Amino acid sequence: MSAPGHAIDPPRRGPRDALSALLARVYALRWDVLPPLTGVAMMAMIVGALIVAPRELIEGELQRIMYIHVPSANAFYLAFFIVFVASLLLLWTRDMRWDAVARGAATVGVLFTGLTLATGAIWGKPIWGVWWTWDARLTSTLILFLIYSGYLLARSTSDVNDEQTARFSAVYAILGFLDIPIIIMSVRWWRTLHPQPIVFRGLERPAMPMEMFVVLLTGMAAILLLTLWFIVLRTEAERLAQRTESLRAAIDRREAP
Amino acid sequence: MVGDVNAALAVVLKDLRLTWRDRAGWLSAASFAAISVLIYSFAFDLATSDVRPLLPGVLWVTFLFAGVIASGQSFQRESEQGTFDALLLAPVSPSVLYFGKVVSNLIALLVMEVALLLLATILFDTMLITAELVLIVVIGTIGYVSLTTLLSTMGSRLRSRTMLLPVLALPLLVPMLIAAVRATGASLGEPSGSAPWTLLLVVFALWSAAGAALLFPSVVER
Repeated sequence: MSAPGHAIDPPRRGPRDALSALLARVYALRWDVLPPLTGVAMMAMIVGALIVAPRELIEGELQRIMYIHVPSANAFYLAFFIVFVASLLLLWTRDMRWDAVARGAATVGVLFTGLTLATGAIWGKPIWGVWWTWDARLTSTLILFLIYSGYLLARSTSDVNDEQTARFSAVYAILGFLDIPIIIMSVRWWRTLHPQPIVFRGLERPAMPMEMFVVLLTGMAAILLLTLWFIVLRTEAERLAQRTESLRAAIDRREAP
Repeated sequence: MVGDVNAALAVVLKDLRLTWRDRAGWLSAASFAAISVLIYSFAFDLATSDVRPLLPGVLWVTFLFAGVIASGQSFQRESEQGTFDALLLAPVSPSVLYFGKVVSNLIALLVMEVALLLLATILFDTMLITAELVLIVVIGTIGYVSLTTLLSTMGSRLRSRTMLLPVLALPLLVPMLIAAVRATGASLGEPSGSAPWTLLLVVFALWSAAGAALLFPSVVER
Protein backbone atom coordinates (compact mmCIF):
# COMPACT_ATOMS: atom_id res chain seq x y z
CA MET A 1 0.00 0.00 0.00
CA SER A 2 1.31 3.38 -0.83
CA ALA A 3 0.22 6.90 -0.20
CA PRO A 4 -1.18 8.62 -3.27
CA GLY A 5 1.75 11.00 -3.42
CA HIS A 6 4.26 8.15 -3.56
CA ALA A 7 2.71 6.21 -6.43
CA ILE A 8 5.20 5.76 -9.22
CA ASP A 9 3.82 7.53 -12.24
CA PRO A 10 4.80 6.21 -15.62
CA PRO A 11 7.02 8.86 -17.26
CA ARG A 12 4.80 11.31 -19.01
CA ARG A 13 5.24 11.34 -22.76
CA GLY A 14 4.53 14.72 -24.24
CA PRO A 15 4.74 15.76 -27.89
CA ARG A 16 8.33 16.83 -27.23
CA ASP A 17 9.38 13.25 -26.34
CA ALA A 18 7.61 11.95 -29.43
CA LEU A 19 9.48 14.47 -31.55
CA SER A 20 12.88 13.60 -30.08
CA ALA A 21 12.10 9.88 -30.47
CA LEU A 22 11.26 10.47 -34.12
CA LEU A 23 14.44 12.50 -34.62
CA ALA A 24 16.49 9.75 -32.94
CA ARG A 25 14.94 7.16 -35.25
CA VAL A 26 15.71 9.27 -38.33
CA TYR A 27 19.26 9.89 -37.12
CA ALA A 28 19.78 6.15 -36.56
CA LEU A 29 19.27 5.61 -40.31
CA ARG A 30 22.20 7.88 -41.26
CA TRP A 31 24.69 5.18 -42.22
CA ASP A 32 22.11 3.29 -44.29
CA VAL A 33 20.81 6.34 -46.12
CA LEU A 34 23.44 9.04 -46.47
CA PRO A 35 26.42 7.20 -48.06
CA PRO A 36 24.53 5.34 -50.84
CA LEU A 37 22.28 8.30 -51.63
CA THR A 38 25.23 10.71 -51.69
CA GLY A 39 27.21 8.30 -53.88
CA VAL A 40 24.42 8.00 -56.45
CA ALA A 41 23.77 11.75 -56.48
CA MET A 42 27.49 12.55 -56.86
CA MET A 43 27.77 10.10 -59.80
CA ALA A 44 24.71 11.70 -61.41
CA MET A 45 26.21 15.14 -60.88
CA ILE A 46 29.55 14.19 -62.44
CA VAL A 47 27.95 12.51 -65.46
CA GLY A 48 25.49 15.37 -65.84
CA ALA A 49 28.03 18.16 -65.54
CA LEU A 50 30.63 16.55 -67.84
CA ILE A 51 28.46 14.79 -70.46
CA VAL A 52 24.76 15.66 -70.37
CA ALA A 53 24.92 19.42 -69.93
CA PRO A 54 25.37 21.28 -73.24
CA ARG A 55 28.49 23.28 -74.01
CA GLU A 56 28.04 26.94 -73.22
CA LEU A 57 28.41 29.20 -76.27
CA ILE A 58 30.63 31.94 -74.91
CA GLU A 59 32.46 30.43 -71.95
CA GLY A 60 32.85 26.95 -73.50
CA GLU A 61 33.77 23.96 -71.33
CA LEU A 62 34.85 26.28 -68.54
CA GLN A 63 31.24 27.05 -67.69
CA ARG A 64 30.86 23.49 -66.33
CA ILE A 65 32.62 24.66 -63.17
CA MET A 66 29.29 26.25 -62.25
CA TYR A 67 27.90 22.79 -61.42
CA ILE A 68 30.28 22.57 -58.46
CA HIS A 69 30.67 26.28 -57.66
CA VAL A 70 27.02 27.19 -57.08
CA PRO A 71 26.15 24.04 -55.04
CA SER A 72 29.24 24.62 -52.84
CA ALA A 73 28.02 28.13 -52.12
CA ASN A 74 24.64 26.71 -51.05
CA ALA A 75 26.43 24.09 -48.96
CA PHE A 76 28.38 26.56 -46.84
CA TYR A 77 25.27 28.60 -46.13
CA LEU A 78 23.56 25.40 -44.93
CA ALA A 79 26.58 24.46 -42.81
CA PHE A 80 26.84 27.93 -41.23
CA PHE A 81 23.12 27.90 -40.50
CA ILE A 82 23.63 24.57 -38.69
CA VAL A 83 26.52 26.14 -36.71
CA PHE A 84 24.19 28.99 -35.73
CA VAL A 85 21.35 26.70 -34.60
CA ALA A 86 23.70 24.33 -32.74
CA SER A 87 25.35 27.29 -30.98
CA LEU A 88 21.97 28.62 -29.86
CA LEU A 89 21.04 25.14 -28.60
CA LEU A 90 24.38 24.86 -26.76
CA LEU A 91 23.71 28.11 -24.90
CA TRP A 92 20.13 27.05 -24.19
CA THR A 93 20.59 23.42 -23.12
CA ARG A 94 24.25 23.43 -21.97
CA ASP A 95 24.59 20.05 -23.68
CA MET A 96 28.16 19.66 -25.02
CA ARG A 97 26.86 17.47 -27.86
CA TRP A 98 25.68 20.67 -29.56
CA ASP A 99 29.26 21.94 -29.37
CA ALA A 100 30.34 18.87 -31.32
CA VAL A 101 27.66 19.58 -33.94
CA ALA A 102 28.70 23.24 -34.22
CA ARG A 103 32.38 22.38 -34.62
CA GLY A 104 31.61 19.66 -37.14
CA ALA A 105 29.41 21.93 -39.23
CA ALA A 106 31.90 24.82 -39.01
CA THR A 107 34.72 22.61 -40.32
CA VAL A 108 32.60 21.48 -43.26
CA GLY A 109 31.39 25.03 -43.90
CA VAL A 110 34.95 26.37 -44.03
CA LEU A 111 35.85 23.53 -46.41
CA PHE A 112 33.05 24.44 -48.83
CA THR A 113 33.72 28.18 -48.51
CA GLY A 114 37.31 27.45 -49.54
CA LEU A 115 36.05 25.30 -52.43
CA THR A 116 33.69 28.06 -53.56
CA LEU A 117 36.49 30.65 -53.49
CA ALA A 118 38.91 28.29 -55.28
CA THR A 119 36.51 27.27 -58.07
CA GLY A 120 35.47 30.90 -58.45
CA ALA A 121 39.10 31.97 -58.87
CA ILE A 122 39.74 29.23 -61.46
CA TRP A 123 36.69 30.41 -63.42
CA GLY A 124 37.47 34.08 -62.91
CA LYS A 125 40.99 34.07 -64.35
CA PRO A 126 39.98 33.26 -67.97
CA ILE A 127 36.53 34.95 -67.87
CA TRP A 128 37.22 38.12 -65.90
CA GLY A 129 40.99 38.11 -66.52
CA VAL A 130 41.84 38.11 -62.81
CA TRP A 131 41.92 35.45 -60.08
CA TRP A 132 40.41 37.75 -57.55
CA THR A 133 38.43 40.94 -57.60
CA TRP A 134 36.84 42.99 -54.82
CA ASP A 135 33.30 42.25 -55.91
CA ALA A 136 30.54 42.20 -53.28
CA ARG A 137 29.85 38.46 -53.30
CA LEU A 138 33.50 37.46 -53.41
CA THR A 139 34.33 39.82 -50.59
CA SER A 140 31.48 38.69 -48.33
CA THR A 141 32.37 35.02 -48.95
CA LEU A 142 35.98 35.77 -48.01
CA ILE A 143 34.85 37.51 -44.81
CA LEU A 144 32.69 34.48 -43.90
CA PHE A 145 35.71 32.27 -44.51
CA LEU A 146 37.72 34.43 -42.08
CA ILE A 147 34.97 34.51 -39.43
CA TYR A 148 34.49 30.75 -39.32
CA SER A 149 38.23 30.03 -39.53
CA GLY A 150 38.50 32.33 -36.52
CA TYR A 151 35.77 30.34 -34.80
CA LEU A 152 37.64 27.07 -35.38
CA LEU A 153 40.89 28.71 -34.25
CA ALA A 154 39.32 30.02 -31.02
CA ARG A 155 37.65 26.71 -30.32
CA SER A 156 40.79 24.67 -30.97
CA THR A 157 43.06 26.65 -28.60
CA SER A 158 41.40 24.98 -25.65
CA ASP A 159 40.42 21.57 -24.32
CA VAL A 160 37.53 19.92 -26.24
CA ASN A 161 35.54 19.60 -23.01
CA ASP A 162 36.11 23.17 -21.85
CA GLU A 163 32.54 24.44 -21.48
CA GLN A 164 33.54 28.07 -21.03
CA THR A 165 35.44 28.18 -24.31
CA ALA A 166 32.61 26.26 -25.99
CA ARG A 167 30.14 28.93 -24.87
CA PHE A 168 32.49 31.73 -25.91
CA SER A 169 32.87 30.18 -29.36
CA ALA A 170 29.11 29.69 -29.60
CA VAL A 171 28.55 33.37 -28.87
CA TYR A 172 31.12 34.26 -31.53
CA ALA A 173 29.40 31.97 -34.05
CA ILE A 174 25.99 33.51 -33.31
CA LEU A 175 27.37 37.04 -33.74
CA GLY A 176 29.13 35.96 -36.93
CA PHE A 177 25.93 34.53 -38.39
CA LEU A 178 23.87 37.60 -37.46
CA ASP A 179 26.60 39.77 -39.00
CA ILE A 180 26.10 38.15 -42.43
CA PRO A 181 23.23 40.41 -43.61
CA ILE A 182 25.12 43.54 -42.52
CA ILE A 183 28.30 42.35 -44.24
CA ILE A 184 26.41 41.57 -47.46
CA MET A 185 24.64 44.92 -47.40
CA SER A 186 27.81 46.92 -46.74
CA VAL A 187 29.96 45.25 -49.39
CA ARG A 188 27.10 45.43 -51.89
CA TRP A 189 27.02 49.19 -51.43
CA TRP A 190 30.78 49.07 -51.66
CA ARG A 191 30.86 47.36 -55.11
CA THR A 192 29.29 44.70 -57.33
CA LEU A 193 30.54 42.75 -60.36
CA HIS A 194 29.46 39.13 -59.79
CA PRO A 195 27.00 37.60 -62.32
CA GLN A 196 23.47 38.11 -61.09
CA PRO A 197 21.58 35.01 -59.94
CA ILE A 198 19.77 33.49 -62.92
CA VAL A 199 18.23 30.37 -61.39
CA PHE A 200 15.70 31.46 -58.82
CA ARG A 201 14.01 34.59 -60.10
CA GLY A 202 10.55 34.20 -58.69
CA LEU A 203 8.11 32.64 -61.14
CA GLU A 204 10.14 33.42 -64.24
CA ARG A 205 11.82 30.59 -66.11
CA PRO A 206 15.52 30.24 -65.31
CA ALA A 207 17.62 31.92 -68.00
CA MET A 208 19.39 28.73 -69.04
CA PRO A 209 18.54 25.61 -71.08
CA MET A 210 16.49 22.97 -69.29
CA GLU A 211 19.36 20.42 -69.35
CA MET A 212 21.70 22.83 -67.60
CA PHE A 213 19.05 23.63 -65.02
CA VAL A 214 18.38 19.95 -64.25
CA VAL A 215 22.11 19.21 -63.94
CA LEU A 216 22.54 22.18 -61.62
CA LEU A 217 19.66 20.96 -59.43
CA THR A 218 21.25 17.48 -59.34
CA GLY A 219 24.52 19.08 -58.30
CA MET A 220 22.80 21.02 -55.53
CA ALA A 221 21.14 17.85 -54.21
CA ALA A 222 24.42 15.91 -54.39
CA ILE A 223 26.48 18.56 -52.63
CA LEU A 224 23.84 19.11 -49.95
CA LEU A 225 23.79 15.35 -49.22
CA LEU A 226 27.59 15.32 -49.16
CA THR A 227 27.55 18.28 -46.76
CA LEU A 228 25.14 16.52 -44.40
CA TRP A 229 27.19 13.33 -44.50
CA PHE A 230 30.44 15.20 -43.81
CA ILE A 231 28.82 17.08 -40.94
CA VAL A 232 27.57 13.82 -39.39
CA LEU A 233 31.05 12.29 -39.73
CA ARG A 234 32.81 15.35 -38.26
CA THR A 235 30.28 15.60 -35.43
CA GLU A 236 30.78 11.99 -34.42
CA ALA A 237 34.55 12.45 -34.59
CA GLU A 238 34.22 15.47 -32.27
CA ARG A 239 32.02 13.40 -29.94
CA LEU A 240 34.68 10.68 -29.81
CA ALA A 241 37.33 13.31 -29.07
CA GLN A 242 35.22 14.66 -26.19
CA ARG A 243 34.71 11.16 -24.75
CA THR A 244 38.40 10.26 -25.09
CA GLU A 245 39.31 13.48 -23.31
CA SER A 246 36.91 12.88 -20.41
CA LEU A 247 38.11 9.25 -20.08
CA ARG A 248 41.68 10.51 -19.97
CA ALA A 249 40.73 13.04 -17.29
CA ALA A 250 38.98 10.30 -15.28
CA ILE A 251 42.08 8.08 -15.44
CA ASP A 252 44.24 10.99 -14.28
CA ARG A 253 41.92 11.59 -11.35
CA ARG A 254 42.01 7.93 -10.36
CA GLU A 255 45.79 7.61 -10.61
CA ALA A 256 46.41 10.79 -8.64
CA PRO A 257 47.02 9.97 -4.97
CA MET B 1 16.28 50.26 -13.09
CA VAL B 2 17.87 53.03 -11.05
CA GLY B 3 19.82 50.38 -9.17
CA ASP B 4 21.09 48.97 -12.47
CA VAL B 5 22.24 52.39 -13.63
CA ASN B 6 23.99 52.96 -10.30
CA ALA B 7 25.72 49.58 -10.55
CA ALA B 8 26.86 50.28 -14.11
CA LEU B 9 28.07 53.70 -13.01
CA ALA B 10 30.03 52.13 -10.15
CA VAL B 11 31.77 49.82 -12.64
CA VAL B 12 32.51 52.78 -14.94
CA LEU B 13 34.01 54.85 -12.11
CA LYS B 14 36.04 51.90 -10.82
CA ASP B 15 37.46 51.20 -14.27
CA LEU B 16 38.21 54.83 -15.02
CA ARG B 17 39.99 55.15 -11.67
CA LEU B 18 42.03 52.03 -12.45
CA THR B 19 42.76 53.37 -15.93
CA TRP B 20 44.01 56.62 -14.44
CA ARG B 21 46.16 54.87 -11.82
CA ASP B 22 47.64 52.48 -14.35
CA ARG B 23 48.23 54.93 -17.16
CA ALA B 24 50.99 52.86 -18.72
CA GLY B 25 48.63 50.45 -20.49
CA TRP B 26 46.50 53.11 -22.13
CA LEU B 27 49.45 55.38 -22.79
CA SER B 28 51.15 52.64 -24.73
CA ALA B 29 47.99 52.14 -26.80
CA ALA B 30 47.87 55.89 -27.48
CA SER B 31 51.56 55.99 -28.41
CA PHE B 32 51.02 53.01 -30.69
CA ALA B 33 48.20 54.92 -32.41
CA ALA B 34 50.30 58.08 -32.76
CA ILE B 35 53.27 56.15 -34.12
CA SER B 36 51.16 54.28 -36.63
CA VAL B 37 49.86 57.57 -38.04
CA LEU B 38 53.50 58.61 -38.50
CA ILE B 39 54.35 55.27 -40.08
CA TYR B 40 51.46 55.66 -42.53
CA SER B 41 52.74 59.12 -43.43
CA PHE B 42 56.14 57.69 -44.30
CA ALA B 43 54.68 54.65 -46.10
CA PHE B 44 52.16 56.52 -48.25
CA ASP B 45 54.07 59.80 -48.36
CA LEU B 46 51.08 61.69 -47.04
CA ALA B 47 53.07 64.92 -46.86
CA THR B 48 53.34 65.75 -50.54
CA SER B 49 50.06 64.77 -52.17
CA ASP B 50 46.46 65.60 -51.33
CA VAL B 51 45.81 63.54 -48.19
CA ARG B 52 42.02 63.62 -48.27
CA PRO B 53 41.46 60.36 -50.24
CA LEU B 54 43.79 58.41 -47.92
CA LEU B 55 43.17 60.08 -44.59
CA PRO B 56 39.86 58.35 -43.61
CA GLY B 57 41.42 54.92 -44.13
CA VAL B 58 44.57 55.84 -42.20
CA LEU B 59 42.55 57.20 -39.28
CA TRP B 60 40.15 54.28 -39.01
CA VAL B 61 42.75 51.56 -39.36
CA THR B 62 44.68 53.28 -36.57
CA PHE B 63 41.56 53.60 -34.39
CA LEU B 64 40.68 49.96 -34.95
CA PHE B 65 44.12 48.48 -34.30
CA ALA B 66 44.79 50.57 -31.21
CA GLY B 67 41.19 50.29 -29.99
CA VAL B 68 40.86 46.54 -30.43
CA ILE B 69 44.12 45.91 -28.58
CA ALA B 70 43.40 48.42 -25.81
CA SER B 71 39.77 47.42 -25.11
CA GLY B 72 40.76 43.77 -25.41
CA GLN B 73 42.58 44.17 -22.12
CA SER B 74 39.43 45.07 -20.19
CA PHE B 75 38.97 41.66 -18.62
CA GLN B 76 42.63 40.69 -18.50
CA ARG B 77 43.40 42.25 -15.14
CA GLU B 78 40.03 41.18 -13.76
CA SER B 79 40.64 37.55 -14.57
CA GLU B 80 44.28 37.67 -13.46
CA GLN B 81 43.38 39.02 -10.03
CA GLY B 82 40.17 37.02 -9.70
CA THR B 83 38.14 40.19 -9.19
CA PHE B 84 35.74 39.32 -11.97
CA ASP B 85 34.25 36.44 -9.99
CA ALA B 86 33.68 38.91 -7.17
CA LEU B 87 31.96 41.33 -9.56
CA LEU B 88 29.68 38.55 -10.79
CA LEU B 89 28.52 37.97 -7.21
CA ALA B 90 26.90 41.42 -7.23
CA PRO B 91 23.09 41.15 -7.27
CA VAL B 92 22.73 42.72 -10.71
CA SER B 93 22.44 41.24 -14.18
CA PRO B 94 25.80 40.57 -15.87
CA SER B 95 24.58 42.79 -18.73
CA VAL B 96 24.81 45.75 -16.34
CA LEU B 97 28.47 44.94 -15.65
CA TYR B 98 28.95 44.65 -19.40
CA PHE B 99 27.52 48.13 -20.04
CA GLY B 100 29.77 49.54 -17.32
CA LYS B 101 32.81 48.03 -19.02
CA VAL B 102 31.72 49.30 -22.45
CA VAL B 103 31.18 52.85 -21.22
CA SER B 104 34.53 53.05 -19.43
CA ASN B 105 36.31 51.68 -22.51
CA LEU B 106 34.36 54.09 -24.68
CA ILE B 107 35.39 57.12 -22.62
CA ALA B 108 39.06 56.15 -22.58
CA LEU B 109 39.06 55.39 -26.32
CA LEU B 110 37.26 58.61 -27.25
CA VAL B 111 39.86 60.65 -25.37
CA MET B 112 42.56 58.82 -27.32
CA GLU B 113 40.78 59.22 -30.66
CA VAL B 114 40.10 62.93 -30.26
CA ALA B 115 43.77 63.44 -29.36
CA LEU B 116 44.66 61.55 -32.52
CA LEU B 117 42.32 63.72 -34.62
CA LEU B 118 44.04 66.75 -33.16
CA LEU B 119 47.45 65.34 -34.04
CA ALA B 120 46.30 64.54 -37.60
CA THR B 121 44.82 68.04 -37.95
CA ILE B 122 48.23 69.50 -37.14
CA LEU B 123 50.22 67.03 -39.24
CA PHE B 124 48.11 67.10 -42.40
CA ASP B 125 46.77 70.66 -42.25
CA THR B 126 43.19 69.40 -42.64
CA MET B 127 40.51 70.42 -40.14
CA LEU B 128 39.40 67.16 -38.49
CA ILE B 129 37.77 68.40 -35.27
CA THR B 130 34.32 69.06 -36.70
CA ALA B 131 31.00 68.17 -35.09
CA GLU B 132 30.11 65.81 -37.94
CA LEU B 133 33.41 63.97 -37.80
CA VAL B 134 33.40 63.64 -34.01
CA LEU B 135 29.86 62.23 -34.22
CA ILE B 136 30.99 59.66 -36.80
CA VAL B 137 33.92 58.70 -34.57
CA VAL B 138 31.62 58.31 -31.53
CA ILE B 139 29.10 56.10 -33.36
CA GLY B 140 31.82 53.99 -34.97
CA THR B 141 33.61 53.57 -31.66
CA ILE B 142 30.39 52.43 -29.95
CA GLY B 143 30.05 49.88 -32.75
CA TYR B 144 33.45 48.32 -32.35
CA VAL B 145 33.98 48.69 -28.62
CA SER B 146 30.76 46.78 -27.80
CA LEU B 147 32.05 43.81 -29.78
CA THR B 148 35.65 43.91 -28.59
CA THR B 149 34.59 44.25 -24.95
CA LEU B 150 32.49 41.11 -25.31
CA LEU B 151 35.25 39.24 -27.13
CA SER B 152 37.81 40.26 -24.50
CA THR B 153 36.08 37.94 -22.00
CA MET B 154 37.75 35.15 -23.95
CA GLY B 155 39.26 33.20 -21.09
CA SER B 156 42.81 33.87 -20.03
CA ARG B 157 43.17 30.10 -20.42
CA LEU B 158 43.20 30.55 -24.18
CA ARG B 159 46.69 30.47 -25.56
CA SER B 160 47.82 33.40 -27.74
CA ARG B 161 44.76 35.46 -26.89
CA THR B 162 46.40 38.80 -27.73
CA MET B 163 46.90 37.63 -31.30
CA LEU B 164 43.56 35.87 -31.49
CA LEU B 165 41.46 38.86 -30.47
CA PRO B 166 42.07 40.99 -33.60
CA VAL B 167 41.76 37.86 -35.75
CA LEU B 168 38.29 37.27 -34.30
CA ALA B 169 37.13 40.88 -34.06
CA LEU B 170 38.27 42.41 -37.35
CA PRO B 171 36.23 40.20 -39.76
CA LEU B 172 33.06 41.03 -37.79
CA LEU B 173 33.98 44.71 -37.95
CA VAL B 174 34.41 44.94 -41.74
CA PRO B 175 30.96 46.53 -42.34
CA MET B 176 31.67 49.10 -39.64
CA LEU B 177 35.10 49.88 -41.11
CA ILE B 178 33.72 50.35 -44.64
CA ALA B 179 30.89 52.57 -43.42
CA ALA B 180 33.12 54.61 -41.12
CA VAL B 181 35.76 55.24 -43.80
CA ARG B 182 33.13 56.26 -46.36
CA ALA B 183 31.26 58.49 -43.91
CA THR B 184 34.51 60.15 -42.83
CA GLY B 185 35.46 60.64 -46.48
CA ALA B 186 32.07 62.22 -47.18
CA SER B 187 32.50 64.65 -44.31
CA LEU B 188 35.90 65.64 -45.77
CA GLY B 189 34.24 66.29 -49.11
CA GLU B 190 35.41 63.14 -50.88
CA PRO B 191 33.07 61.30 -53.32
CA SER B 192 31.69 58.32 -51.37
CA GLY B 193 28.78 56.99 -53.39
CA SER B 194 25.12 57.42 -52.63
CA ALA B 195 24.78 54.78 -49.91
CA PRO B 196 23.61 55.94 -46.44
CA TRP B 197 26.91 55.23 -44.65
CA THR B 198 26.06 57.02 -41.42
CA LEU B 199 22.82 55.05 -41.18
CA LEU B 200 24.79 51.83 -41.64
CA LEU B 201 27.14 52.93 -38.84
CA VAL B 202 24.19 53.56 -36.53
CA VAL B 203 22.62 50.18 -37.42
CA PHE B 204 25.93 48.45 -36.75
CA ALA B 205 26.38 50.19 -33.40
CA LEU B 206 22.85 49.25 -32.29
CA TRP B 207 23.27 45.69 -33.55
CA SER B 208 26.60 45.11 -31.82
CA ALA B 209 25.55 46.72 -28.53
CA ALA B 210 22.25 44.82 -28.35
CA GLY B 211 23.67 41.48 -29.50
CA ALA B 212 26.67 41.65 -27.19
CA ALA B 213 24.58 42.70 -24.16
CA LEU B 214 22.19 39.79 -24.74
CA LEU B 215 24.96 37.23 -25.21
CA PHE B 216 27.30 38.49 -22.48
CA PRO B 217 25.58 36.63 -19.59
CA SER B 218 26.03 33.24 -21.24
CA VAL B 219 29.75 33.87 -21.81
CA VAL B 220 30.58 34.79 -18.24
CA GLU B 221 28.32 32.27 -16.50
CA ARG B 222 30.41 29.94 -14.38
